[in-house]
Amino acid sequence: MFGYLVRRIATSLAILFAVSFAVYAIFALLPFDPAALTCGKNCNNPAIIEANRIRLGYDIPFWQQYIVFLGGLFVGRSYSEGAAAIHCPAPSLGYSFNEHECVTTLIVRALPVTASLAIGAMILWLVVGITLGVVAARFRGRSADTASTIFVLIGTSLPTFLTGLLLLVFVVIKWKIIPFPAGNYTPLLENPFEWAQILFLPWVTLAFASAALYTRFVRNAVIETLSEDFIRTARAKGLSEKVILRKHTLRAALAPLATMAGLDFAALLGGAILTEKVFNLPGLGRLSLGAVIEYDLPIIVGATLLSAAIVITMNLIVDLLYAFIDPRVRVAS
Amino acid sequence: MFKNASGTSRIARKALASLAAVTLLGAGLVGCSSSSNGGGTLTYLTNADSWTHADPNRNYTGQHIAWFGSYMHRTLTAYKRAAGADGSTVVPDMATDTGRASNGNKTWEFTLRDGVTFEDGSAVTCEDVKYGVSRTFATDVITDGPGYAISMLDIPKDKDGASVYKGPYKTDGNDTAAYDKAVSCSADNKTITFNLSRAVGDFNYTVTYLSFSAVPKASDGGDKYDMSPVSTGPYKIEKYVAKDEMVLVRNDKWSKDSDPLRNAYPDKIVVRFGLAEEVRDQLVINDSEPAAFSLDGILPTNLATIFDDAGVPVEAWKDRALNVYDPYVTYTAVNVAKVPCVQVRKAIYYARDFAALQTLAGGAAFTGDPADGVIKPLMGLDYKKTIGYDDWKEEGNAERAGSLMAEAKTACPDVYKKATTAGLTYDVGDTATNKKAATIWIDSVKKNSGIILKFNFIEPGAYYSVVQDETKQGDLSRAGWAPDWANASTVIPELMLDGYGFPLSRAGKDPTYAEFKKRAEANLAEPDRVKQGAEWAALNQYVMDQMWIIPGVFSKTQEMWGSKLTGVFFWEPQGAPSFGDIQIAK
Amino acid sequence: MSLLEVNDLLVEFTTSDGIVKAVDGVSFKIDRGETLAIVGESGSGKTVTNLAIMGLLPSKIADISGSAKLDNGAGPIDLLTISGSELRKIRGKDVAMVFQDPMSALHPYYTIGDQIIEAHQIHNQCDEEESAKRAIELLELVGISDAQKRLNAYPHQFSGGMRQRVMIAMALVNNPKVLIADEPTTALDVTVQAQIMKLLADLQKELGMAMILITHDLGVVAGSADRINVMYAGKIVESANVFELFANPQMPYTHGLLASIPRVDRPQLQRLETISGQPPSLISLPAGCAFAPRCTRKSEVSGSACELTMPSLVEVSASHSSRCHLVGLSGLSGSVKR
Repeated sequence: MFGYLVRRIATSLAILFAVSFAVYAIFALLPFDPAALTCGKNCNNPAIIEANRIRLGYDIPFWQQYIVFLGGLFVGRSYSEGAAAIHCPAPSLGYSFNEHECVTTLIVRALPVTASLAIGAMILWLVVGITLGVVAARFRGRSADTASTIFVLIGTSLPTFLTGLLLLVFVVIKWKIIPFPAGNYTPLLENPFEWAQILFLPWVTLAFASAALYTRFVRNAVIETLSEDFIRTARAKGLSEKVILRKHTLRAALAPLATMAGLDFAALLGGAILTEKVFNLPGLGRLSLGAVIEYDLPIIVGATLLSAAIVITMNLIVDLLYAFIDPRVRVAS
Repeated sequence: MFKNASGTSRIARKALASLAAVTLLGAGLVGCSSSSNGGGTLTYLTNADSWTHADPNRNYTGQHIAWFGSYMHRTLTAYKRAAGADGSTVVPDMATDTGRASNGNKTWEFTLRDGVTFEDGSAVTCEDVKYGVSRTFATDVITDGPGYAISMLDIPKDKDGASVYKGPYKTDGNDTAAYDKAVSCSADNKTITFNLSRAVGDFNYTVTYLSFSAVPKASDGGDKYDMSPVSTGPYKIEKYVAKDEMVLVRNDKWSKDSDPLRNAYPDKIVVRFGLAEEVRDQLVINDSEPAAFSLDGILPTNLATIFDDAGVPVEAWKDRALNVYDPYVTYTAVNVAKVPCVQVRKAIYYARDFAALQTLAGGAAFTGDPADGVIKPLMGLDYKKTIGYDDWKEEGNAERAGSLMAEAKTACPDVYKKATTAGLTYDVGDTATNKKAATIWIDSVKKNSGIILKFNFIEPGAYYSVVQDETKQGDLSRAGWAPDWANASTVIPELMLDGYGFPLSRAGKDPTYAEFKKRAEANLAEPDRVKQGAEWAALNQYVMDQMWIIPGVFSKTQEMWGSKLTGVFFWEPQGAPSFGDIQIAK
Repeated sequence: MSLLEVNDLLVEFTTSDGIVKAVDGVSFKIDRGETLAIVGESGSGKTVTNLAIMGLLPSKIADISGSAKLDNGAGPIDLLTISGSELRKIRGKDVAMVFQDPMSALHPYYTIGDQIIEAHQIHNQCDEEESAKRAIELLELVGISDAQKRLNAYPHQFSGGMRQRVMIAMALVNNPKVLIADEPTTALDVTVQAQIMKLLADLQKELGMAMILITHDLGVVAGSADRINVMYAGKIVESANVFELFANPQMPYTHGLLASIPRVDRPQLQRLETISGQPPSLISLPAGCAFAPRCTRKSEVSGSACELTMPSLVEVSASHSSRCHLVGLSGLSGSVKR
């Protein structure tokens, strides 16, 4: 088991290096000049553009830029000189001249926001999705099933951006059921009530579409599992339907859900751009979106690496979790 | 100042003034506003994730200059806080007067008032202003700001055309002595003297820019200063987090006695960043935040709620909305080097279905009136309606366009052939509206003149860096421009003369350029403002007659705010509301 | 009465294509200690018959009528009419089942110990330790060595034959009166098949329970069944004790089944006989004998009776009845080639 983990982690690090190199290469090959984009009207003088290129570190070949970047991870990086000198301590992902901040600091600041959003939303959609899915499967073809089908249809067809906007405009602005939040985000430890109040609608928005998908998935998985031979065995033993559903059906039906939820969660941790945009949450999605619009390479690389790391980590967790749920795939120790 | 490529947000905008005479007013003459203190929290709402810049040296948009100028950054001189033409009067701010010129307008002196302090209570000295101005030269760190200090101060240039002084951060090979010679302080550290490389009669307008304000050297963190500028005004930053909010609180070291210009009505000022556009508009429309002011334009879909078809606020919005001309003129620059045929250029002007483009953009009531050049009527002395274009029709004039093309066929057969076969390329920002507009351009120009247009959609963020590059620019390029202050000296030379800021028309390649250049350069040095204005108007006519640009609109902008706000007026020189005069009703 | 008496069992499934008559008027009895084999091709209704008795067919789609009376000591109970909770008390206790594929019939996520203990605990008020003891006892009984340790193993850690032993142990944990074994050896290797069949036979003798053995392979039951019911298209077509059936099959279908058993006493080069054709669709059964379209001897019956009228189950002898128009026609029994 330990050896397996070491192997997996080593592979993951190799993938991260490859990803970071690929991002550098892609941006180096794109036909635009990041230096020319940073100086606005002043850019009519080639000397100024060149000075910007040096300041941003784009004056050297991209593979050298990449080596400098790798170095920054371990020893930190410094920019400019004199009073304008900036130091980003290790592990440094670089400095963003758009955000006037070290990328590591930006990510550390944005991650809790996105994590709060993702965790809350996932709990919500798992609870709703599993409950509705099981109820729909249990009462297949009856009114509860029909109601869940309608929910699935609405949930999967309403775009997240629209759901969020409708909730915000009606629930908050027009009907004033929830007050318009005083801030954009409050950390959990600072004020749990405010934290939940600000995140409540984003959770609902984000969970809505996923809950619909999960409802459909769980319903089908439960129905499929209920037709398995081992469920017939359980019935033949004289078990009640309740026990069969809880003990025998759910565990088998929800095992693939762990994979799905794990990867969906990883994707969310990379940033829920639309929800963060509508509800004005300063999370990773907004950070990445802004960086892409502004061609802010250090942030793009940092955010991409983080996303890749999250996906890889979640994959590992999902694999371990799956082994925990399903003894057949348990790793030989 | 150019307009941003998407044309939808108002991030970029700069001063326009009805032309007021450059009078030198004594401090005593400045009218004090009422000292009533409204109190409360004034909230600004914006879709932007942060201010483009809060560093005074990097601000170059009228709205931001108006905002920070109202609350935080004092300058040597400033525009009078008044509605209408009166607002374009330059009055003293940190200085005791509006500057004293000598040496044929090549030397300017300003003396600081007593009692002007930074937020820590330390006095603002000449050295602080000198340090602030020096930062403009660090073009690799202090980006985006206006370059007037570089272009006007008497500091030698190296062989690349860059200043030999590189700002306060560089240590090696930096000619600091050259800067000390150009900008000097008196022994009492109260009077600053600027030595200019050429005569600038309205230098006291130039120093209204925040890039001529004071920065305490000890607090300067280079790029980081953009997040934590030090205040000299009535408010200071308590919190500023991008994508979250900015909170300004009262600067208790500021005193009204040394600052007769500014009011300090609210107790607290909050800027909410990153609101979705619809949310931002709905918050104001539903008056959920009665003390909120929207910093952005209004979504086209919400205009009908607030204004009638004529663009006048409906009864309920009478005191909560404005629909006014902003400082911009939009136009299509014709790359003269690539389209060396005035008949073809004019044929496009006559062929275009302007009416359809206006309807697409929301109607004349909100987008503005057809322009007849690059100078806006609000420019007063510098504007005169251009003549000879009475046969221009909003829906296009096929007959006139056709006869111009017939002329072109013999006068410039090569261009005629290119325009009617391969077609002309037209650069625009890659936005949904521009995509729709493109079909109107293509259809109407083809139908009325036979000219084929091919659109090149460019990522909005990269748009100006592409079209400013002569090697990448197409035959036609969309642009917008506003004067940097109330003189067409910041329009005609900037757009048309080689070596100036924004020469998208490449007029220098036109055979008639030499005469134009001679007249424009002479007019820059013209001491008689009335004569100068008449000449700018004549040169505007010259630009039209050569059709170096195809004029678009004299554009308009809309503002709206919550029911508890009073005192809002449009501050014409900044092309923005006078933020410092907004107060919260009890 | 007998231990279990099934009378006129009718099972119909409503599908979008029409009504499927899966079981049509099946009746049989089974006594204590007796082994009844139900033999037939796939789709003949043998499995559905037993699922119907156990109440394991979804009531939403299956329309069941008739009766299945079980005498569990307190007077006969009709399994088809009692409530679900009453039936649950009988399932796994008085009547237990062993299924065809032990891999899919055991829950892959639980240890076999968990599963056997669960089966015991449903019907017994005792603590887990006692149930575990009982589980070990049963595992030993079905021939699993080192049972104590194997309790914590998962189904996938066993071979096919071992898994089936586990299934049998689980079925027997509550001393059932009737054990229904549905194709218990079909998914297993031939050598293992014999072991399992022997195990079942031994256990039945030892525990004195009745057993219903469902199979498509007459050869499997030859050694262990007392009585054989042959089913075709939802109906019992021949019912006899094992010796009579093998010695004197009346119905050509039974004959066909017998002929398809590989035998060591047959010349090796002789090809096994097969029954040509396909079983009929249960939605549109022919008006006459369901086997008629495949029957090679229907010409022996005059007036196309095989195609036109359904023969009734007639007694050939006291312990032998058959559903065939040929019954009673001279020379039939003698003509069966062995």
